[in-house]
Amino acid sequence: MDTPARAPSSELGAPPARRGWRRFSSRARSSFGLYGGASLIVGYLSIIVLIPIAAVAAHGFSFSIHTQGWGAAFWHWHLSAGFATFWHDITQPAAISAIRLSLWLSLSVAAINAVMGVAIAWVLVRDKFPGKWFLEAFIDLPFALPTIVVGVVLLFLYGTASPLKISLFETWMGLMVALLFVTLPFSVRAVQPVLASLDGESEAAAKSLGAGGIRTFLWVVLPSLWPAVLGGFGLAFARAIGEFGSISLIAGGIGRTTTASSYIYNLTQGFLWTNAAAVSTALLVLSLLILIATNVFARRIQRRLAS
Amino acid sequence: MSISLSHLTKRYGADTVVNDVNVEIPEGSLTAVLGPSGSGKSTLLKLIAGLESPDEGRVVIEGDDVTDVDPRHRDIGFCFQHYAPFRHMNVARNIGFGLRVRKQPKDVIDAKVAELIELVRLDGKAKSYPAQLSGGERQRMALARALAIEPRVLLLDEPFGALDAQVRTELRQWVKELHRQIKVTTILVTHDQDEAMEVADQLLIMHQGRIEQAGEPTELYERPATEFVHGFLGPTTTFKGASVRPHDLELVATSVGAIEGNVQSIMELGFEVQVTVSLSDGSTPWVQMSRNEFRSINVGVGSPVSIRERD
Amino acid sequence: MNHTTRKWSLRLVVVLYLGLLVGLPVGYLFIKAFSNGFHAFWVEVTKPNAIAALKLSAEVALIAVPVNTVVGIGAALILARRKFFGSRALTLAFDIPVAVSPIIIGVALVLAYSRIGWFGSWLSSHGIQILFSPIGIVMATMAVSLPYVLRSVLPVLIEVGKDQEDAARTLGAGGFRTFWQVTLPAIRWGVLYGVTLTIARTLGEFGAVLVVSGNITGKTQTLPIYIFDAWDQNFDTIGAFAGALVLASISIVALIILSTLRARERKLHVDLA
Repeated sequence: MDTPARAPSSELGAPPARRGWRRFSSRARSSFGLYGGASLIVGYLSIIVLIPIAAVAAHGFSFSIHTQGWGAAFWHWHLSAGFATFWHDITQPAAISAIRLSLWLSLSVAAINAVMGVAIAWVLVRDKFPGKWFLEAFIDLPFALPTIVVGVVLLFLYGTASPLKISLFETWMGLMVALLFVTLPFSVRAVQPVLASLDGESEAAAKSLGAGGIRTFLWVVLPSLWPAVLGGFGLAFARAIGEFGSISLIAGGIGRTTTASSYIYNLTQGFLWTNAAAVSTALLVLSLLILIATNVFARRIQRRLAS
Repeated sequence: MSISLSHLTKRYGADTVVNDVNVEIPEGSLTAVLGPSGSGKSTLLKLIAGLESPDEGRVVIEGDDVTDVDPRHRDIGFCFQHYAPFRHMNVARNIGFGLRVRKQPKDVIDAKVAELIELVRLDGKAKSYPAQLSGGERQRMALARALAIEPRVLLLDEPFGALDAQVRTELRQWVKELHRQIKVTTILVTHDQDEAMEVADQLLIMHQGRIEQAGEPTELYERPATEFVHGFLGPTTTFKGASVRPHDLELVATSVGAIEGNVQSIMELGFEVQVTVSLSDGSTPWVQMSRNEFRSINVGVGSPVSIRERD
Repeated sequence: MNHTTRKWSLRLVVVLYLGLLVGLPVGYLFIKAFSNGFHAFWVEVTKPNAIAALKLSAEVALIAVPVNTVVGIGAALILARRKFFGSRALTLAFDIPVAVSPIIIGVALVLAYSRIGWFGSWLSSHGIQILFSPIGIVMATMAVSLPYVLRSVLPVLIEVGKDQEDAARTLGAGGFRTFWQVTLPAIRWGVLYGVTLTIARTLGEFGAVLVVSGNITGKTQTLPIYIFDAWDQNFDTIGAFAGALVLASISIVALIILSTLRARERKLHVDLA
């Protein structure tokens, strides 16, 4: 190969659009693409999510703009009147009991699945046995299955005509089984990758220092899993407190098993939209608070682990 | 001059990563940008390629001011540190990518790709996918892909950084040979001074975003302009309060112009031997010598010796 | 307790929990399907109302899935490749639909766009009705299935990195070509994963659609609502069962696709040296 492989540049010709303004990568041009794309996306997001959610909060506080004047009196009247109706709507005995039921059910379901999630993730990551892949695919089933199908399936098995002679129809147990079912993947999948990423070195170190299996788990593995477990807890809780489809059938139609979502749905069936908005707002605030709290907690723990 | 950079500056927030760089890079040269990690050398390369845009200064390639030109129109061959192969394309399609972009006829592309595959010694691998290649092969494929568009300038970002020691030495030789054949102006970035000294005919030493010194390797080695360049290009030791190369010192029988002391420690590294001497003035310079030289002076730890600069 | 006992008891607990909670109910659905026979199933799903529901579900998915795929990929590209003010807020906003009850999403859409809502009078004066109409169903479905493509694509995009795109640019490729020939092939499994999730979620959405649809048999009933209606209003357990079987089969197919993709994606991760 004595001849130089580099031919004169002219042979290939100029790449397309070498001349003219398209040649330039002025920052303005690329920013135009960024902001154009971003505003389309934000527009879409606003129409289908943000504006409607804002509408819920506004209606929850009976805040309407169909009034005369924008002075201080306007705000005063609206805010005080709005808050009074809001408070009235969410302190109805039925509303309180529905929210209370949702809260304690969701907390216990998230807690149970946090424990089981760690156990399942442990088996999936650390254990080896034939048929493990099946178990692995199984975890996502509750996520892939439409909630109403979950409801139907559970009612077949645990309804009044239960082949197992166990009827959970119209009981809180029934609700709990449904919620455990639908939140399972969140608890497992939050922990699994973190567990898999632990290299086992610190575990080996702990064992070489004489720590037993359980002590190693509690002192070495669990501390690094905490953020993930908390994250899974938050996701499971958020899912459980908002869940409707899977529990709508097994709950029946009685007050004792009416969760917050079912209560809101019942209000909409009576066209009581303002009341529905008020309870929705309360539920919204509640789930956002829990979500933010778990996030902050998980992040704080993570930061402590990192440093 | 093939590439000239003037007052080139790039900031990330409060950090000035590249600071007022002024450099002329001769046509057809093989220039190594050498510096410790974080010295801004990779950013400098990306500024030349247009993958980053400067906050100040101009980039001129072959007399053409390309500062505001999109990288796609700069006619530059860029090899990424981790090669950035298109994983879903086989070797031939990877190499031909730039030619397809330039809408070349299929037979021209095929011929060119075949020629390049031979040039980078990937014969028989045309249909392989990047995942099936070794690190060195991926590197050569990336090189061929960059060369296919007949770039005005070839830029290599830490080209041997991710390879193991043996492949590394082979590839260095090969790149040097390749450059001799195709003569395209090449800039490579490295943090390894041996690599830079071996491959390049021009060196740019970078430190904290600035060019410390530019020139031919031997010139820089022998006449470093700053303490940093001196220290970075080879080992140094302190003798009579000045920084010198340990191979510029020698151990001698007591005589004029030397300082007396005792051997503190001896380290034998195969052919090379390093002897540390503790001097009466409290300093402890070390001397680098060949194994034969060491045998001939016949000293051990604790022996009284004298030390002086070689002529 | 020694190591082996501990291992086996943990296995036992996990398998029992999964078996009782998930395996038994879902298994029972399919066992019942076989015992009832295919004919009974076929009679149920070919009833006109069932077919109408199936058709509406498919139509809704045909609109919602492509739109959310394009939006999800676009958002992932912007979030992965650019740093800009408000990017964190954008990520959070995308997650709202998963964090919020589907019932609330439904109520929210009604309060924004129905006749009693903010834009209701304007929309109805332009002849657009959202409540009790397919438009509302499509919007509700779009909202709840919004985050899945973004969530599947974003981590892949970050993992793949910017180098291949930069390489394409230095070789002269423009944005359009770089996206189609370099970026999209690199993230294709992530996209497919997200699309599968979106389809599953779209076909299964119940709460939000129930609130906005008004549940008009044969007109605004998607398949999940048809199932609910069959069981709850008409006490037609066989009909509900048949519908559930159709949806369950679809989601099991989706599940198989998902776990295949995950296996493949894991392999890709190993290859990414």
